[in-house]
Amino acid sequence: MAKKLIGFFMGFAALAAGLLLPISASATDAQYMPDDQEQIPENPQPEYAEDMVLSDEQLGMISQNCPSIQNQLRRVQRTDAKSRVHLGAQFEVISTNLMLNLNLRLVKNNLATAELADQQTTFSNERTRFKNDYINYSQSLERLIDTDCQKQPAQFYEQLTKVREKRSEVQQDVYRLTEIIRQHRESIVTLKESLK
Amino acid sequence: MIFKRKPKEPAEEPVAVNGGRNLMLLVIIAITIALTTTSISLAIYRATGDVYLDRSRPGYIADDEVHSTEDDGKETFANEGAITTKEIDEYLETLDLATKRIENSIDDFSSAPLSDETLDIIIYEENPQPDEEVAPVE
Repeated sequence: MAKKLIGFFMGFAALAAGLLLPISASATDAQYMPDDQEQIPENPQPEYAEDMVLSDEQLGMISQNCPSIQNQLRRVQRTDAKSRVHLGAQFEVISTNLMLNLNLRLVKNNLATAELADQQTTFSNERTRFKNDYINYSQSLERLIDTDCQKQPAQFYEQLTKVREKRSEVQQDVYRLTEIIRQHRESIVTLKESLK
Repeated sequence: MIFKRKPKEPAEEPVAVNGGRNLMLLVIIAITIALTTTSISLAIYRATGDVYLDRSRPGYIADDEVHSTEDDGKETFANEGAITTKEIDEYLETLDLATKRIENSIDDFSSAPLSDETLDIIIYEENPQPDEEVAPVE
């Protein structure tokens, strides 16, 4: 009886771990993706050729420099975390403490405009996108760091290319959010002129 | 009518309780349940991506860096009161402060830190492109 019970619980634990851990790797891949792509400003994309070919010599170079590459990646990971916290805090201040409060105050004074309300909604959506893109990027970067670049330089470089693309998406999110802030400022200046 | 006396069943022997074994079983079950629930919690923690946003994650961001980011960004704009040009000026001033901080970090996610040069990876060669001018076949 005791053996059966122990076997049952151990089996349950193994099953839970086996089922849930793979979910953790892929769950955030299918997260929020807004469809308002037309508002995205044109920004320079990093130039990474898709038709790149790594020679044996180049793969050997990656294997040889693997420890220093891994160290650099870990440094980038720490710096990115700090940047995410800093930028995230500023975006939250603008969204919650400024845009939202201003719109509430405008409503109470019968001065609300659809333009400012739209900007608040768009900014909020873009903040969510920034957060989700950062999570995707971080997961990808972690997978890259876990890849053995000494034994698997080709797979490492392939994963590096994916990480670069995801990092570029995060950078685009920051640009988009900054652009919305700029437009918001212009709207506020217009509002000020109308009050004179 | 003759009643036959039912033969008496032998008395059941008292079941011996093995306390030590039960205690061990209880401990094992408790540990298994704890491990299972902890694994599930950690899986959810990773699946939702909170692990990458959690500032309290040990060693994720140094304490001094956390404090420096907490010091800024406390500005707010009251959601009640009249709207005058003076109020709007104050709003713009606050907005500009936050915007300036963002602009200081606007290129934090640029491609430079992961470039081939930064990572000390030799420059890759592109696939050779076929010549556009092809000699006509005679």
